[in-house]
Amino acid sequence: MVWKFQLSRVSFLFLSLVVASALVPSLAQEVRIGAAAPEFKATDSNGKAESLDQYRGKYVVLEWHNQGCPYTKKHYTSGNMQALQKEWTAKGVVWLTVISSAKGEQGYVTADQENSYLSRVHAAPTAVLLDSDSKVARLYSAKTTPQMVVIDPAGKVIYDGAIDDRPTDDPEDVKGAKNYVNEALGAAMAGKPVPTPYTRPYGCSVKYAE
Amino acid sequence: MRVLRILFLVFAGLVSAAGAVAASSSADVAHLHVQLVMPETTLNAGQTADVGLYFKLEPGWHVYWKNAGDSGEPPRIRWTLPDGIKAGAFQYPAPKRLPLGPLMDFGYEDEVLFPLTLSVEKSAKPGPASLHAKVDWLVCREVCIPGKAELEVAATVSDHPVKVAASAADADIYKRLLSRLPEPLPSSATAVFATTATGFKLAIFTGRAERSAAFFPVEQNILDNPAPQKASPLENGVVLDLKKDANLTGNPQQLAGVVELSDGRAYDLVAKPGAIPAAVPKTGVEGLLKAAGLAFLGGMILNLMPCVFPVLFIKGLSLVQASGEEKHTLFRHGLVYTAGIVASFWLLVGALLGLRAAGSTLGWGFQFQSPVFVALMAGLLFFLGLSLAGQFEIGLTLTSAGGTLAQKQGYAGSFFTGVLAVVVATPCTAPFMGAAVGFALAQSALVTFAIFTALALGLAAPYLLLTFQPAWTRLLPRPGAWMEVLKQATAVPLFGFVIWLVWVLAQTRGSVAAAALLAAFLLLAIAGWILGRWPAKRIPTLAAGLVIVAAIATCVYGVTTLAGPVAASADSGKGNADASRWEPWSQALVDKYRAEGRPVFVDFTASWCLSCQVNERVALRTAQVDAAFKKANVALLKADWTERDDAIAQALTSLGRSGVPAYALYASNSGTPELLPEALTPGIVTDALDKLAALEATDSAAKTATDAAKAASEAAKAAGAVH
Repeated sequence: MVWKFQLSRVSFLFLSLVVASALVPSLAQEVRIGAAAPEFKATDSNGKAESLDQYRGKYVVLEWHNQGCPYTKKHYTSGNMQALQKEWTAKGVVWLTVISSAKGEQGYVTADQENSYLSRVHAAPTAVLLDSDSKVARLYSAKTTPQMVVIDPAGKVIYDGAIDDRPTDDPEDVKGAKNYVNEALGAAMAGKPVPTPYTRPYGCSVKYAE
Repeated sequence: MRVLRILFLVFAGLVSAAGAVAASSSADVAHLHVQLVMPETTLNAGQTADVGLYFKLEPGWHVYWKNAGDSGEPPRIRWTLPDGIKAGAFQYPAPKRLPLGPLMDFGYEDEVLFPLTLSVEKSAKPGPASLHAKVDWLVCREVCIPGKAELEVAATVSDHPVKVAASAADADIYKRLLSRLPEPLPSSATAVFATTATGFKLAIFTGRAERSAAFFPVEQNILDNPAPQKASPLENGVVLDLKKDANLTGNPQQLAGVVELSDGRAYDLVAKPGAIPAAVPKTGVEGLLKAAGLAFLGGMILNLMPCVFPVLFIKGLSLVQASGEEKHTLFRHGLVYTAGIVASFWLLVGALLGLRAAGSTLGWGFQFQSPVFVALMAGLLFFLGLSLAGQFEIGLTLTSAGGTLAQKQGYAGSFFTGVLAVVVATPCTAPFMGAAVGFALAQSALVTFAIFTALALGLAAPYLLLTFQPAWTRLLPRPGAWMEVLKQATAVPLFGFVIWLVWVLAQTRGSVAAAALLAAFLLLAIAGWILGRWPAKRIPTLAAGLVIVAAIATCVYGVTTLAGPVAASADSGKGNADASRWEPWSQALVDKYRAEGRPVFVDFTASWCLSCQVNERVALRTAQVDAAFKKANVALLKADWTERDDAIAQALTSLGRSGVPAYALYASNSGTPELLPEALTPGIVTDALDKLAALEATDSAAKTATDAAKAASEAAKAAGAVH
């Protein structure tokens, strides 16, 4: 009788441990240049389900975005980001803007707000992922907005880091800056190795959900 | 007249407006107050002067260090200075770690001063000098706000030395905050680092043990910033475990940054590659307390043994029935009883330590590794196991002898009752005592005494409690058959241990020696039968004693003289590895092979070390492992410690080991070897070799990539130069 009770106690403890470990939020993963880009699933601003594997066979650019961040504003008020989006999507690159701000934090938007923002600033990404639980950000260890990740058609990360080499919020600094996304995509499409595959991204920190 | 007055007023207004437009030395902008501060406003020609950028921040807001971490940017300053005055570089005070969810930044909260030095040339024009600066910064809390200000401070250049103090507030800022700059590492201190599989180990030698440390790298993209930095104290410093950035390729030539120690000390350091000593093991007081705690628990559990429990129960009953007058002395009796137990244990420990000391001076090599000692231990444990299994009872004669002593009245009686408890408990305590003895033989005298004292106290504790509160006797379970079952059950792990010892001896001394050992066991079983058949009778006990002597002789004879060539090992079909592939160890040889690009495996062994022999037969010399070594082009070195070589002893200490066996696998490009566990299997060795190969492959791939990139850029340069 007592023995049976002890057994059930032990199994309950074991089960709860198993359940607890499943609930522990996964730690930020490491993204390695040359390694496979982490698979993700998210919903875009049109309610459509998006995942990385549906774009296998194409170049994919992930752009972390926070419309309130001065560094993001630098690239949007200067028209730089919109121009990049248009140029590369025309060449068959899939451009995914990722918004990982938690609800209540700077940069968080609803689908409608984002769609009206896109038309207001004339942005042209393939889709905007609404990642308000910061899952995609954790998979990619996203640090700042903007942060750019370029993935090749085989699904490998070929660039991770800053958008360019001028870490300021001044729109004047866009001209004359070396744009790492252009460099990476240009080199990869020409079959050459990417000269600068990894840089420290600059911008506002990603506003992670707890 | 009126027109003139109006004109004058307008003019005055314009002048004052112009005055207001002139930049001030400070600005209050979003969430902060920024100011140019000078402790003295005179710039003496030909000398240097101090000026600093001061921020006072609203709570929760922060500005950044020169390496801001995962996000953020440090403040920048651009000077417009009169001729002859030049500004040096910003100096950064020691930063703080600023966690932000899964990210980590480095910066400052509340207030910070960035001092810098102005150099004033002799040719600088004396008179008022306006130092103008454009400052921009990033200040963040949950959101980030870039800010900028134009600041100006009025100074005076003087061609004769004079000191004019600035305002008290400015001077106070300097006084208060200048100390937050990190100091250069004192000349008596050094810092070295070594690469590990996941990052780096950074050792800082300050001359005293450091409990805590934090390292802030100057270069970005070297370390994984959010990863916690585990600090392991050393006798003369501290070792930090640092995780590297996931995308770091190749090994850095140096690690530069700021290290912050306890008591607010911060040092600038540049660590060069070097050897990292093993950290002081955290046992010390912690480990001792743990072991003592376990021993105490063990002592308490011993009370459940059939040798002890009935005594405890009956004594408990008699305590309950004690008259009221005796009650207050009961506890004192309990204490004396405890003293009796502790004293007996101390006697036992003393004898053990004496034997150990005698052993080393007499050159017995009294270590657990000696084959003769192991054989005798196996015999003793087998004998005790027989007793536990119920073949005979040990200690009955002792019990009767002790019984008369215990019947003495008063405190003496209580004392000897305690001694009796220890003696009587011996057959039941064998498993625990065996483990305790084994552990004790390997430890220092202090640890041994502590362990045995805790064991003694644990044994005495229940009875002591009962003397304190006799009514608790009612809580004890009734003695019964379960005690006998418990006692017999403890024989099982004991026999298991004996089987393992026999196998170890068979591996190293051959099957003939093992058979001799088993014959000795047979003799012990016969002796046990005699003792069980005729308990406590003088002649049979003597006869049993003689048989035991014969058993001991057989043991020793078998293990020493009969030790033959080891029987073919399990994979004899595949053939053993060629022993000549192993070269004698020397540090120079290790360095030579590593410089040649070959990994090195060092086997620290000794002929008197049983587990070393076992590991060699079972893992290192097998064909499978030898093939793996050949494939990885590993140089094989054997460090033979049979004669207690000093160089080998030093090498062992630097690896953090105190004895053999020890196995170190050095990669050709890493100074920190991987240490394999003390019990090897072929799988463990091949796994370590696979890990090594993976590490070397990524390193060489990274190297080829950087080489290719270098070659490409040089080719481009050459092409450019041609045009």
